[in-house]
Amino acid sequence: MRQRNQTVWRLAALATALVLTLGACDSTAGDATSTTGAVEVTTTTATQPADETTTTEETPVEEATVTYWHTMSEPEAAQLDAVIAAFEGANPGITVEPTRYAYDDFKAALTTSIAGGEGPDTARLDIIWVPEFAELGALLPLDGELASFDETASSVFPGPLATNLWDGSYYGLPQNTNTQVLLWNRDMFEAAGITEPPATLEEFATTACALSDSDAGTYGYGMGGTYFWAPAPIFYSSGGAVVDEGITTATGYVNGPESVAAFELLTGLYNDGCLSPSILGGGVGTAEGHATGAYATIIDGPWMVDIYRNDFPDFEVNFAPIPAEPDGTTSSVVGGENVVVFADTDQKDAALAWTEFLLSEESQRLLAEVGVVPTLSGLAGDPALPEYFEVFMAQLETAQARVPHPRWGDMDTAINEAFQRMLQGTQTPQEALDQAAEEINALLQ
Amino acid sequence: MTQTPADPVLHSGRDRQALTTSNRTESLGRPEPPGPPRGRRRAGVAWLFLLPGVALFAVFVLGPMIYSFRISLYDWNLVTPDRSEWLGFANYARALGDPTFQRAVVNTIAYTAVTVPAQMILGTALAVLLNKAIRGRAVYRVLYYLPVVTPWVIVALLFKFLFVGQGGFVNHILRNVLGVVDHDILWLADPLLIFAPIMALGIWKGLGWTAVIVLAGLQIIPAELEDAAKVDGAGPWQRFRFVTLPLLRPTLVFLFVVLVVGGLNAYVSNLLITDGGQPFGQTHFVLTLMYQETFTRLDFGYGAAISYLLTALVFMISVVQLRLLRRRVDL
Repeated sequence: MRQRNQTVWRLAALATALVLTLGACDSTAGDATSTTGAVEVTTTTATQPADETTTTEETPVEEATVTYWHTMSEPEAAQLDAVIAAFEGANPGITVEPTRYAYDDFKAALTTSIAGGEGPDTARLDIIWVPEFAELGALLPLDGELASFDETASSVFPGPLATNLWDGSYYGLPQNTNTQVLLWNRDMFEAAGITEPPATLEEFATTACALSDSDAGTYGYGMGGTYFWAPAPIFYSSGGAVVDEGITTATGYVNGPESVAAFELLTGLYNDGCLSPSILGGGVGTAEGHATGAYATIIDGPWMVDIYRNDFPDFEVNFAPIPAEPDGTTSSVVGGENVVVFADTDQKDAALAWTEFLLSEESQRLLAEVGVVPTLSGLAGDPALPEYFEVFMAQLETAQARVPHPRWGDMDTAINEAFQRMLQGTQTPQEALDQAAEEINALLQ
Repeated sequence: MTQTPADPVLHSGRDRQALTTSNRTESLGRPEPPGPPRGRRRAGVAWLFLLPGVALFAVFVLGPMIYSFRISLYDWNLVTPDRSEWLGFANYARALGDPTFQRAVVNTIAYTAVTVPAQMILGTALAVLLNKAIRGRAVYRVLYYLPVVTPWVIVALLFKFLFVGQGGFVNHILRNVLGVVDHDILWLADPLLIFAPIMALGIWKGLGWTAVIVLAGLQIIPAELEDAAKVDGAGPWQRFRFVTLPLLRPTLVFLFVVLVVGGLNAYVSNLLITDGGQPFGQTHFVLTLMYQETFTRLDFGYGAAISYLLTALVFMISVVQLRLLRRRVDL
């Protein structure tokens, strides 16, 4: 869109240039240029909706087409076709039209299409977006609409289910879940004479430093950045919390002793050269760094199996639980996606049927084949699931959901910036988190 | 059919003739035929030809602009616009008092203030060199134009990669080749240093286009003028300063106007290099902040207000520049 604008604008500019340089220096030429420039500014917002691909809905009386937007990976999207085929076979007359988006473009695509009245019937949303879209009034509360809601709700993991709750209603159902665990490079460990991944946070710190040699460019631990998802596993494993259970205050939670201890651990590792400096200024990515021997450990999700299979087929992926406090009751962070139905759908019944099907054992098993962790607790330990799911399913038992709140994005930013301030040494972890607590409290009002 | 002066067919035929022949016909005192005033008729025809353009402009530019202005006056409810809360100009007041917005304006102006003169000076120097009869001139012209046609996304990520703190090329040069620093600089983690890749990219990418425009300006300067100056004993710098530069003025003024508008609208490079204002929300341009407020934080009213404030800024600067444009240079 913008590129096209720019091309047109450049062409216009070239034409104007021609006129000018031929000696016809007229002030109207300047007029034209400045108008184009000024106009371009506002059209970037205004014309965005026209750019979105919209699916036309031809709906004869007995037929229904349900649109479903998602951000699946390529293998997942291919497997989705099998899920849709199974659904359409069981529900003659209903057609599902999937549309795939890049994660980074998804929110803008959804909001502009909703604003233009061209939104989808159903979508798979990142769990942290559900309260935000529910607050906008864009989503249908499923507990009021879906007859089988209670039954379905009791069959899924409670953590992922909780991410759909906003203001007393459930606005979605957990379609898939995930969490982050420790990945350890066995060759690097064995070269240092260590045979086991660290089990406690203290062991994690000493191991990370034992495996670091900043002159050689190797680090015991590599992190992708300072956004909350990155430190969250260590944060929750240390017993940290962002806010209280009722989501009323951050004071004593995000700056409580456990939360501060987690960030002190990470800041200490960074200052001692045991945590890769790429966390602040960019550098070697965590995935390739881990596979190529730059980072002995990283913390990441189940999709790494697929990434390594494609990019580093010879690399042996080793998962382990996140190191924990000996008496810890919380760990890691819940990720994943929820399926939602949009309030302005004109195919409500068909959309609800499709939503129900996505939570069925048949659909969840099909997607599990390509590495998508199911949310049905009944499938835990199922021998048909990939073997590496075990560590993730076990980790999910104590993994924590981020704050289900429409302003979560801003809370994430507050903690992210606090983390940067402590890494840059302008504040101690306590000072930085005290400030973050104030910023989050302001968001809760 | 008698051909009277009032005959519309004949009249329009003459009219057309009058358009194609020089204005001298008019001054010869040809009697004005009776009928509707020519000016208005001509304007009518002009409007007819303008209609498609005006219609497109109205539907796709003016309409959305007005709608967007309406949005800017509300706490806009995306899903049910009827329930939007009327705020008047509160979104505008909020933006003017918001340190992030103020910083974004400063950043945008600083970017423009650095990249526009740099592109103009380097582009002019390049054009003067390319205008000389050097071997392989066409090859150089293509080479310098290449950055212009490379996609923003790719080169923005490339520049970011050059400046990464761990194992980056720029740090490698500074530390291992030149030896001017003893530790890696975290360019991308510093709210000021991060503008090094952003500005370098803007200059690098715009240079070729600027040079092409100046080159076009140079080629219509008659060689006799420079020869005459040479005969009069002017050195190369004097010839450039007193012959070439004054005659390039229209080109340079045009470039200045266009580059400033482009600079104030810079967006892609910043978005990709700062990931939207990182670190600390201190590195936004007005457009990236507008995008973030609108599409990430879903505050459409505030985003629309920011877009109008940027429009106002561009408009004010353009008015000043138009005054610059009015002065003419006669060849």
